[in-house]
Amino acid sequence: MPQLNPAPWFLILVFSWLIFLALMPPKILTHQFPHEPSTLTAHKPKANSWTWAWQ
Amino acid sequence: MTMNLFNQFLSPTFLGLPLIAIALMAPCLLYPSPAPWWQSNRWMTLQNWFIGSFIKQILSPINTKGHSWALLLATLMVFLITLNTLGLLPYTFTPTTQLSLNMAFAVPLWLATVIMGFRNSPTHALGHLLPEGTPTPLVPILIIIESISLLIRPLALGVRLTANLTAGHLLIQLVSSAAFSLLLSQTTAASLAVGLLLLLTILEIAVAMIQAYVFVLLLSLYLQENV
Repeated sequence: MPQLNPAPWFLILVFSWLIFLALMPPKILTHQFPHEPSTLTAHKPKANSWTWAWQ
Repeated sequence: MTMNLFNQFLSPTFLGLPLIAIALMAPCLLYPSPAPWWQSNRWMTLQNWFIGSFIKQILSPINTKGHSWALLLATLMVFLITLNTLGLLPYTFTPTTQLSLNMAFAVPLWLATVIMGFRNSPTHALGHLLPEGTPTPLVPILIIIESISLLIRPLALGVRLTANLTAGHLLIQLVSSAAFSLLLSQTTAASLAVGLLLLLTILEIAVAMIQAYVFVLLLSLYLQENV
């Protein structure tokens, strides 16, 4: 099976993690989720905004 | 004959350059970063909705401490689902059929959850190795069994994704080559094979999305246990 060929294993690991850590997260991080607009009749607006939590 | 069928999974190179790099960059090209100065379009709205609802769903059973994994889980999901579904296009290479890539993601992420668990609450983490209410004579063997099942998790995670996608692609190749070779001599059989191919392709689209989801879901479960 060519998948078990050990030659490109380390390169694939390095490159995939590089893309996964450096290129993809900024694209996902820029997506924001502001709270949904509430109707005028609502007495207590439910502010459900959420940010990408860090800790 | 067997070697010939698996040739589609050979990591492609062109003049010595690995083309898997281009295949891995494909998801980055499909997802432009939203910016306040750009008006949203349907694609961006769809992405936003998808990421939002996915994060809501996957983080709901995890306590607040684990919510810092939100970005990692969302990125992983988007990455895997894009790689899987793009690989279903004809003549494309699916990087997730490579065991190296899947293990490269499974092992470090599983290890991260285990290390987190042992650092934050070692007693609680060790306690997972012995289910409550075990009869005393069974305790030693059960600890061994639970440890083995813990250690086999990253292997299962990586191999599950690899095997599912490899098997699907292999089946598609087999059925399509059968349909093609039977096309002139036995047309009815060929048309049945084409029908099977259609159903198989629909199945593979579902499998591609489900397997990406299962990978990330299991990781979130391992996180939930340890956080």
